[in-house]
Amino acid sequence: MRVRLTGRFGRQVALSLFLKSSGSMAKKAKSSKLSADDEATGEVIAKVRKSAKQITTSSTAEYFSKNLQQVGFSSPTKAVLTTLKEAVDNSLDACEDAGILPDLKIRVEKVGSGSMKNTDQIIIRVEDNGPGIDPDDVPKVFGEYLASSKFGRGRCSRGQQGIGISAATTWAMQTTATGARVTTKKKGARKAFTCIVDMDLKNNKGVLRSKESIEWKPAHGTAVEFTLDGRIQLNGEGGLLNYIRSSVLLNPHMSLSYNISDVAPASIERVVKDLPVVPEATEPHPHTMKLGEFMSHSRLFGKVKASVWLKKGFSRVNDAVLKDLVTKQKLKAAVLDKNIDTMPDGDFKALFAALQDATLPPPATTSVLSVGEDGLALSIRRLGDIDFFAVLSRKPCICDFKPVQVEVAIARLRDRRGDDNEEPVQVLRFANRVPLQFDKASCAIVKAITSVNWRSYGLKQPRASLPLGPYIVAVSVVSPFIKFKNASKETIDASDELVEELRRALMQTGQRLSRYLSREHKADELEQRVQHIEQFGPILVETLARILQAPPERKALATAGLAKLLERDTKGIKKDLEAAEDRLASYLDEKKQRLSEFFGSIEEEEQASKAERKAAAAAAAAAVANQPAKGKASVAVAATPAATLIKGAKGKAKAQSVTKGKAAATAATKSKA
Amino acid sequence: MAKSPVVTKRIRKNDTEIIRMGRELCERMLADLERAKRPLLQATKCALDNSFYNSKVGYLTPGSKKVSSELNVSSVKKISRAIFMLEILLRNVEISNINTKRELYYVAKGLVKHETMLRPLDFQDQDESDSVIDFLCEMMEAYREEFNCVADDRGGQTYSKQLIVQETELDGNVATVDLSTLGTAPYQPRNRPQNLQLSTRSKVDFCLVIESQGTANTLVANGFTKRHNCILIGAQGVPSNAVRGWVRLIQEQLSIPLYFFGDLDAYTMQNIFRTLKAGSAASLIRNSDFCAPEVKFLGVLPEDIKKYDLVDYPVKENDVQEARALKKARDALANDPFFKDKRNKELKAVLEWLVKNKRRCEQQAFISVDPRDPQMMEKIIIDKIKSGVYIE
Repeated sequence: MRVRLTGRFGRQVALSLFLKSSGSMAKKAKSSKLSADDEATGEVIAKVRKSAKQITTSSTAEYFSKNLQQVGFSSPTKAVLTTLKEAVDNSLDACEDAGILPDLKIRVEKVGSGSMKNTDQIIIRVEDNGPGIDPDDVPKVFGEYLASSKFGRGRCSRGQQGIGISAATTWAMQTTATGARVTTKKKGARKAFTCIVDMDLKNNKGVLRSKESIEWKPAHGTAVEFTLDGRIQLNGEGGLLNYIRSSVLLNPHMSLSYNISDVAPASIERVVKDLPVVPEATEPHPHTMKLGEFMSHSRLFGKVKASVWLKKGFSRVNDAVLKDLVTKQKLKAAVLDKNIDTMPDGDFKALFAALQDATLPPPATTSVLSVGEDGLALSIRRLGDIDFFAVLSRKPCICDFKPVQVEVAIARLRDRRGDDNEEPVQVLRFANRVPLQFDKASCAIVKAITSVNWRSYGLKQPRASLPLGPYIVAVSVVSPFIKFKNASKETIDASDELVEELRRALMQTGQRLSRYLSREHKADELEQRVQHIEQFGPILVETLARILQAPPERKALATAGLAKLLERDTKGIKKDLEAAEDRLASYLDEKKQRLSEFFGSIEEEEQASKAERKAAAAAAAAAVANQPAKGKASVAVAATPAATLIKGAKGKAKAQSVTKGKAAATAATKSKA
Repeated sequence: MAKSPVVTKRIRKNDTEIIRMGRELCERMLADLERAKRPLLQATKCALDNSFYNSKVGYLTPGSKKVSSELNVSSVKKISRAIFMLEILLRNVEISNINTKRELYYVAKGLVKHETMLRPLDFQDQDESDSVIDFLCEMMEAYREEFNCVADDRGGQTYSKQLIVQETELDGNVATVDLSTLGTAPYQPRNRPQNLQLSTRSKVDFCLVIESQGTANTLVANGFTKRHNCILIGAQGVPSNAVRGWVRLIQEQLSIPLYFFGDLDAYTMQNIFRTLKAGSAASLIRNSDFCAPEVKFLGVLPEDIKKYDLVDYPVKENDVQEARALKKARDALANDPFFKDKRNKELKAVLEWLVKNKRRCEQQAFISVDPRDPQMMEKIIIDKIKSGVYIE
């Protein structure tokens, strides 16, 4: 038996093969002479056996390289998305940390067939205008696992542990044997630094090669390029386009241009010119700690008194709390005066137990970050032709003893609207502004959406399912400590408190949305009634007259009588419609005040578009004057999306009424919105 | 609780009456519309909660509950459709044309197709046009057949060596059918009992309605009708309107004893025999002409199982159908006015026995008494009739 052994896996296979065959081999040993090859194999196997018994230590990089599926690289399709996502997250975090409004350029291109079955070779390049990276830090950032500037800091940054981008480099190396090509330039530098980052898996280190200084146009920034095997999925929940749409929604301050194979290149401009302020982390809350963590925490402070350490090193601990520890929790006052560097473990335990039993205010919520209702409102328009929308930013609150802020945006798309649209709503989930695109069913956000009774807000919804219709339901959870279900951060753990907070946010947004829908339903009902009268009234009278062979005078009289009767029936619904319109109008007034920035921006756009239209009309008039023989030029001026948006929200009844006969027209004129 | 029961009108002998009633309804509606008054259409509520067992007449009669439809925006479509269908039906009666419900659905579809104005009335499926026809019938307390709308004449295959049937066709022609000339072929009664006149060549001793058409056929093939002066009818399961109307006609015109021979199970007792004897809640307005209160339950009776050592089976409660029948039987014992009436206490006792013992026995089980004797079932039936082992 000839065994070719490479790497540990090969050795293990050989070992198992050996163990299976060793019994029979032993029996044959006496009767047959071993060949030279068999002897050699036996030696190798003996070595394998010996090495298998030894306990070895693996590096973090080795672990992740064998378990890339745990960090979002479970398939060629997911590998492409995760690589792009990690690169974009890093770019956005870097820009925000440096106070730079992000301008991102994305390229995802198929360049050939991949080495793996059913894959393509794909180049993913993300370029930002961030502060650039010090060349010494490049191997750490792209080639070292758990090298992070954010780990455990308790800030609402996208990246946390420093795993993602290194995993992308690992995937690229595993599939194409090429690391990440990084080009970076710091502000004020004349030339950019470029290199290829490979991974030394054994030592969890990045290794740079092909280092060069090159001329690079941008004043500062970083570009990272991966060549890897994968498959591009454009559409669907796990598609690249969905990822881009989602990122655009929660990053109104970001400009993005992308060039993806099989898709027309596009640019999306920022709608907000202010950077979001990422709040600084607050000190840990004693109730969120375990004893070991508590004691390790003390090591950071050196020689200080326990009382000082507690007040400086934790949030929500003040003199009153310390007094409480002594008086109510019966802690010896002397413990608080001891220096923590020499404090015995027993005192730490007593202090910890007293703190756990003490009543403390919940952790501060100042460390969470919000996009804001204005930002969401402005951003949601970038997702498509929006009929109307409702946004909501909940006040930060405490869930599972961690500060959390939930924001919700629900919009109805105009182009997918139709009576037969029975597809579930499109759910966009975000955790710390990072889109979550997989494992939807077990996510806290989806659980909360399905638990809400959307029918009471005017949406269709099968029992305990997502509501139906051409809506986008975007839900963002921001917290310095989000409980993910897995290392690839695809699903938020559905704790009862978080689901309840999400439910409240969704219900409040649903109530806001229902103002539009209620008015629309009433208008539809009125329209239906009027249609009924117009359709069935004449048939009824005509048929009765035909059966009775009644003269035309009787027919005319009956027609008038029927019209009177049915007109009376529409009175009630007209009143309801008026009431719904009043409610919508007052809601819109309140919304205008609440979203002043959004409506200010809409107004600016409208004025600009008016000026454009005027200029276009003047130019057309001038052209007509100059070329009288060619006749009048037709000038089509499209309404701006902003104008349509406001019209969609306010004057829909009027638009409908044009085609809906006399009664509908009457209703429309009464419309106050 | 509904008020006092109402005895329904008997079947109309004359087509002109139905035309007159239809026109009157239209006249009333048009006059109301001329005065800008809402026309109100009322129909008898045909449901168990409006059913009363009238022991004097022997069948289920309707209470005073009505289903009302006042013309308004919500009902204008339903009423327009009803009047549209009424026009079709009245024309059918006038020109003596007959259609099934399915055909009427297509007649309506055709009219809508050729008349743009009628498009909004279009029926999406037959259920919609059927419910309009039923509404019209209930409103005018008329039988569907009075509007020349006939169902498929299922069941009722009749064998006799004595019976002669005279049928007045819609065009006025009279056809005479002597059942003794048909050999072993059955006579199939039409669902217009008002058009039939019965007579006999000689005295008929009894009429036997058999639940299974196959068993009826076997008895005839083995010479049952040759040996006994009788009328033998195969009900073919739950008796259709045609079977019910036909047995009623025999009861009224021949005044002979009527017996029903079927399985011993809750479904037969409650759905088949009860419907034949006292009509159904769904056809409250038709029961006066479409049930035979004098029919007696010949068997299988609970005591027959022991007496003849019949093969019987336990009711499988995990079988959806059987479990449902058992549940319905319990409901019937609690709510059905037929079983609640003291005159039917023996039938009630059988149903209670079935619910309690959860056994069932099929009519064909009599064959097992002596499998070598092809006339065994016949002998037992005749023996039961002669010795009066049946429930009135």
